[in-house]
Amino acid sequence: MQGVPLMTAIPVIIDCDPGIDDALALLAAFVSPELRILGITPVSGNQPLDTTVRNALQICELGGRTDVPVYAGCHRPMVREPIRGHFHGSTGLGKTVLPTPTKSAESRLAVDFLIDALSAAAASGERITLCCLGPLTNLAVALRTNPAIAAGVERVVMMGGAYREPGNRTMTSEFNVLADPHAAHVVFSSGLPIVALALDATHQVMLKPEHVARFAAASGRMSHVLGELMAFWDRNDVARYGSRGGPLHDPLVVAFLLAPQLFETRRARLFVEHESELCMGQTIADWFGKSGLTPNADVVTRVDAEGVIAFFLERLSRYAERAVA
Amino acid sequence: MIRVIIDADPGVDDAAAILLALASPEVDVLGLSIVSGNVPLTDAVANACKVVGVSGRRNLPIHAGASAPLIRDQIFGKYAAIGTFADALVPPTDVVPEVEHAVRFLVRTLRAAASAGDPITICAIGPMTNLALALVHHPEVAQGIARIVTMGGTFRTPGHRVPWAEFNVLADPHAADVVYRSGVPIVAIPLDLTTQALFTHEHFTSFRERGGAAGAALGHLFTAFDRSDVARYGRPGGPIHDAATLAWLIRPELFESRAATVGVQLTGEMLGATYADYDGVLHRASNAQVATRIDEAGFITLLTERIAFYGDRAAGSLAPGVPI
Repeated sequence: MQGVPLMTAIPVIIDCDPGIDDALALLAAFVSPELRILGITPVSGNQPLDTTVRNALQICELGGRTDVPVYAGCHRPMVREPIRGHFHGSTGLGKTVLPTPTKSAESRLAVDFLIDALSAAAASGERITLCCLGPLTNLAVALRTNPAIAAGVERVVMMGGAYREPGNRTMTSEFNVLADPHAAHVVFSSGLPIVALALDATHQVMLKPEHVARFAAASGRMSHVLGELMAFWDRNDVARYGSRGGPLHDPLVVAFLLAPQLFETRRARLFVEHESELCMGQTIADWFGKSGLTPNADVVTRVDAEGVIAFFLERLSRYAERAVA
Repeated sequence: MIRVIIDADPGVDDAAAILLALASPEVDVLGLSIVSGNVPLTDAVANACKVVGVSGRRNLPIHAGASAPLIRDQIFGKYAAIGTFADALVPPTDVVPEVEHAVRFLVRTLRAAASAGDPITICAIGPMTNLALALVHHPEVAQGIARIVTMGGTFRTPGHRVPWAEFNVLADPHAADVVYRSGVPIVAIPLDLTTQALFTHEHFTSFRERGGAAGAALGHLFTAFDRSDVARYGRPGGPIHDAATLAWLIRPELFESRAATVGVQLTGEMLGATYADYDGVLHRASNAQVATRIDEAGFITLLTERIAFYGDRAAGSLAPGVPI
């Protein structure tokens, strides 16, 4: 079975707010035996918590990975009032209707799960990679509750921020960071090593209508749902993005872990504005040591877009193989 | 009996608040959740254990909580040099904290209270970091809180660390903001209120002479860390801020209060400043009942009599928990 991890698999926790692009990231991760998914921790973000939890459960069932536990995360940002995504439809999954999940979330909350798993990882030395696809509330609350868990984190691979690229929700700010800038501040100032897949990277990988047809054709039993989700993702805004299609934000986290050769990075220290209303959620990269602080992040600056599309085509085609097998 | 969790950063006046609570049959203290504030977390936990040790309530659960504020750089109290209470002031104890973290304790206990329809009162007498973290965890946490009685903020009286803010809010303004916007009913006991009741050496002597081991410890602490400031308060004596939250629960008739919209400044130089809109000029629903006046003599009598309970109990004239 494709979902069975390899002995050398990377232990990961996927922290997310599904979300169409989160769904694509999860579906790719589910058929990647290089990853050992310890849990999924949905958070309030694109949609309210109840919806992101339900969507995570539905996506687990869709992907045939009911073995992966889902832990409900924080129901609101650390300090600010919640904001919601604009591009995911009223359910968070566009027009796609998935069956009511039979699986339910674990009784343990996401923050407790993160603290327990990362404490155990700190003790065993088998550190965990955190794949962060939504606002960083769960991780920030866990770090503030129990700072010692930092020792259990291998690195944070996050989709969020906008460094040289303008924002997507406000002039300055990308949605995930704007939705909880205080949480981003906690993570950026935690000392944890970070890989930042910001709009600088994700706007280089547009999922175009011609790609959607190829994904649908390749993915077997998943073809209808994938085609529907991906078609809904089309921003249809050539002036903004240079082409039709939608930026492949969250899935890039999975691609970065499994195909790092497709990405170029640059070291920087990361900061986030959490005081100014005008620039709330703006992320700043110190490329040249102006802050006097050591770099804490690899910021992705270039992506091989065709390579990434080919990577996901290959991964998602595994659903066709699984149906046959 | 009012079921109470005390969220504290002991701290000398936290010790007075905890000992007042544990001597009062009107309140049932379910546990202490400890936060860094007046002193670093490890000292605050050690002090909580020492205070519980002298109180005789050795089975009271003590949970260590957040060691740093949510967002701002950490600051400690004016009397941070206290650290862990010296053994000469408060004797050593073998009371130890629980393994469970304070935030997990709060989330677990308050969610259970919400499910049971029997919400719990929180006395928040330190920076409100633990409470803010718990409130972000799950919506049932707010539903499990009957009200938060907090010593914090100042509206007309200058602060001690900076003129525009009271320490507990200044130390974690973001946490205070989360609590004030949580929708949970709040009773705010600001500096304006606590500085109306001044305790002098006469009262500390009473603690020492009448209050058994607990009273002796409290008397030693207040004598060692004298808050008297005639220039500031206009007469001898010093406030015991945190104990006023318990007094409000035990003897609400000692207080006058007004509904207000309370807010916290989260940016700029005046970080941690608090306002109370009593007159509705902001056109926002009020979120707190602000205590504005206290019957000084009544509060002093309450605290000195309740501390004397520890001496009476030691002398065998009272069983524990018997109303005074």
